[in-house]
Amino acid sequence: MKTLKAFGQGFETTNKKIRMTLYLWLANFLFSLLVLTPFYFILNKDFSRSLLADQLARGVDLLWLGDLIYKYRDFSSVLLGWFIVPGIFFLLLSVFLNGGIIGQIASQEEKVSLSNFLADCGKYFFRFLRVFLLSSVVFIFVFGFLFKIISLPFDLWQKNASTEWPLLFISNIKLLLLILIFSIIRMFFDYVKVRLVVEDSRKSLRTAVLNLSFIGKRFFKAWGLYLLVGLITFISGIVYLSVYQPLPKAGFMLFVAFVWQQAYFLARTWAKILFFSTEYHFFNVFSYKESIS
Amino acid sequence: MSCKKFLIWFLFVISGLLSTALINLFAQPRISNIRYEIWVELDNQNKMLSGKEVISWLNKTKDLVPDMWFHLYYNAFKNERSSVIEESSEEGFGPFKIEVKKGEWGWVDVMSISLLDGRDLSSTMEFITPDEPLHPGDQTVMRVRFPEPIKPGEEVHLQLEFKSKIPRTILRSGYYQNSYFLGQWFPKPGVYEEGKGWNCHEYHLNSEFYADFAEFTVHITVPENFVVGASGRQIEAVPNKEKKTMTYTFYQENIHDFAWTADPDFIKVEQEFEPDKEVTQKEYEEMARILQLPLEDVKLPNVKMILLIEPEHKSQIERHFKALRAALKYYGLWYGPYPYQTVTMVDPPFRTESGGMEYPTLFTSGTSILRSKKVLSPESVVVHEFGHGFWYGMCANNEFEEAWLDEGINTYSTGKVLAKAYGPGVYSMAVNRIPLAWFLKLPSAYDYESDRAAAINVVEFDPITTFSWKFYDRGSYGLNVYMRASTCLCTLERLVGEEMMLRIMRTFQMRFRYRHPKTSDFISVVNDVTGRDLSWFFKELFFSTLNFDYGISSLHSEESKKYVRGVFEVEGKKEELTSKKVGQLEKKERKSGSEKLYITKVKIRRFGEARVNGDVLVKLRVVFEDGSEEVRLWDGQERWKEFSFEKPVAAKYAQVDPDNIWLIDSNLANNSLRLKATRKGIWRPATQFLFLIQSFLQFIAAWS
Repeated sequence: MKTLKAFGQGFETTNKKIRMTLYLWLANFLFSLLVLTPFYFILNKDFSRSLLADQLARGVDLLWLGDLIYKYRDFSSVLLGWFIVPGIFFLLLSVFLNGGIIGQIASQEEKVSLSNFLADCGKYFFRFLRVFLLSSVVFIFVFGFLFKIISLPFDLWQKNASTEWPLLFISNIKLLLLILIFSIIRMFFDYVKVRLVVEDSRKSLRTAVLNLSFIGKRFFKAWGLYLLVGLITFISGIVYLSVYQPLPKAGFMLFVAFVWQQAYFLARTWAKILFFSTEYHFFNVFSYKESIS
Repeated sequence: MSCKKFLIWFLFVISGLLSTALINLFAQPRISNIRYEIWVELDNQNKMLSGKEVISWLNKTKDLVPDMWFHLYYNAFKNERSSVIEESSEEGFGPFKIEVKKGEWGWVDVMSISLLDGRDLSSTMEFITPDEPLHPGDQTVMRVRFPEPIKPGEEVHLQLEFKSKIPRTILRSGYYQNSYFLGQWFPKPGVYEEGKGWNCHEYHLNSEFYADFAEFTVHITVPENFVVGASGRQIEAVPNKEKKTMTYTFYQENIHDFAWTADPDFIKVEQEFEPDKEVTQKEYEEMARILQLPLEDVKLPNVKMILLIEPEHKSQIERHFKALRAALKYYGLWYGPYPYQTVTMVDPPFRTESGGMEYPTLFTSGTSILRSKKVLSPESVVVHEFGHGFWYGMCANNEFEEAWLDEGINTYSTGKVLAKAYGPGVYSMAVNRIPLAWFLKLPSAYDYESDRAAAINVVEFDPITTFSWKFYDRGSYGLNVYMRASTCLCTLERLVGEEMMLRIMRTFQMRFRYRHPKTSDFISVVNDVTGRDLSWFFKELFFSTLNFDYGISSLHSEESKKYVRGVFEVEGKKEELTSKKVGQLEKKERKSGSEKLYITKVKIRRFGEARVNGDVLVKLRVVFEDGSEEVRLWDGQERWKEFSFEKPVAAKYAQVDPDNIWLIDSNLANNSLRLKATRKGIWRPATQFLFLIQSFLQFIAAWS
């Protein structure tokens, strides 16, 4: 019941502080526009005066795509760099923004203001950066080493398979395991961040260790709550696709499709805040209980 | 060889020759100059083959032939000194690197070889390496010397005993657990070419095969629970209850290779291709008209279709047959009737990695458990590999030296059949073997579009006609021989017209059926059928590495000015026209209602090195604001040419190659130029790309 209560409170908080959704969406949108800019100019240069542009408007077509690949085939490493470098910057930006999100969720003030949001971003940045570095070590250990050990019996089964079925089964079981393990690690470090804010602590490592006991005592409740919000994100994806795919992508409808895409990103951003706010309330409910007992 | 052994051999040979002679009473006239009778037994426990082979070779040339060269293809998998494995090491990492694990090597040992009269040739056996660059440790070609040369018209009978260790599948031949796919498994003579000698190349990583048309009688003994499929038609199945084995006999004339497969789990399904149900009278008449042939010549025969499929793919049986029926219909109608009584398609046993390969009257397809119906797979593989029965099977080019003649022509043909029977196919994309087409609306494309996208990227690496193992790398080999050749043939089709192209292909197939055509033969057929000299087309696009790219480099359309600034002689006096004065004069002119005149200038450039030639010219089309158009032709030899037009309206756009003939053109975007830019077409890919970037960044943020 308490878990559902935490979910309800989290839902309420996310909606009350909806302005944050806009901030985060805007950050993603503007950053993406920046990454897109050179590609837009390439498209503009190569196709704006060509009749082939009519085919661009009809969707993916190997005639124009083939032209692009041929022309820019020597730039594949530049392209890779163009994704990696902004990717790293966006990762750091996300670490920065996480401070604002949790800080504002924890704030007593009803309304979210940009200045308060940014102040929290700055306040928690270095603490969250340490958490991020710590989580990276865990991710590397788990996926680079532990997951390989977990996979050993599967690999053996796969090696001796007599039909394709085990391969299909194993690869999907492994993917599911991967997602579930990822969700556990992510959830764990979300609670570390929440705890750092609630306790206004600067000791990331110590908080992470303390968090082990907190999560350990009520793992399935916490994970259930996390997966519930994950399910909402997943459903939002399905709703997006089922509406987007049949939409015509020409003329005014192209604009409608674009708006729908952005609506989907707003929904995903909202879900991201929901993750943190449900975790915040869950932590409050159970840490309060712990302190009483 | 002992006397008793010789007697057994002699009886074997005589019975073989007699049975072949009996079969021949009912068979087609003999085209081949080789007869094989092979007895082979599979040792499932030790993954070995034991075989006996009788080869009768007729010297149809005017040469005295002193020796015979054999392919021993399985020796390519014997050790790391073989050409195949050395070449695969040169490819470096990746999917083309062959890595053989302990105990998984394969080889073939010729235990004995002698003439029918008993004279032993074993002492003359030697491995040779005829190809450059040298791989001295290769043992895939063996030479045997005759006691005296074989005279023109003389037939020599050889008998061999061999033992082969079957490899754990490499290059589509081998075993996995109790499943076998066996291609290139028996000692096979090369092709003797008059005045040149034996054409018998080593087994190379980037090459397929070449052999003479022959008559095969093959007796295959396997454990009794195995289901067997093979080239040709099964004429006998004899059980041996004591040894718990079964011996299957297959026979086929006019084929140049023999492959077989054995797996206890195969499901065998047979259906009949009945042309009366597949082809309408109207279709026959239309084809006869296009091909300029009597109606009887385009009629198709019945064919027995045999499918050996793995149980987990049972739900796809009808998909396989539907594709095969389409292939039998269109290849038959377009290129000539399929002449054999059977065609066997094999869904390759799990992990034998033998999918997508052709052998005479037998081919392997390839599928997986989960397949979307929107994705044309296994259909594309079925059509392509069956099609090789025409291009490789009957029109049997030397795949070592001119692989494009079968791979390129067949890729082109596959695209045409798929387009006709199915339309465009959805991109094949899967996550963890689950097809994305089940959930997403994926783009679709015709084969010619994907082929062209690949082809333009490899033009500068090698000519299409390069020897298979001499390409820059395996990527260049594959893309040049399949995709680039196919794209060039599509270009040729657009140049000469679809109906003319059908006549070319039909003539080529029927003229060279059961023969070994060369590129020069194909060019001769093109020139003969079209009545034009199109040799230049092949010189520019097949024999060279020249990029083809004509485009519009500039388009200007401006109103012609009657008055301009400056000093002019007016009635003997110098008068200056200022901007103000020019403006006044123009205003006056407009009031008088005189017509505007626009001067349009278009520059066409030859961006690539390849040129059009012969009677072919580059076509320029300029469309004007009032909908009128002007067409100009250019011989395309120089680097650029400017065309000028005077019209009462401005130009809207200019277009080179407006009929979209030159599919091989590496830059289709520059084939047209609008006077005014428009971003209408750009928004869609831009917004989609934005969405992808946003998703990517969201994914990244998940790790924060």
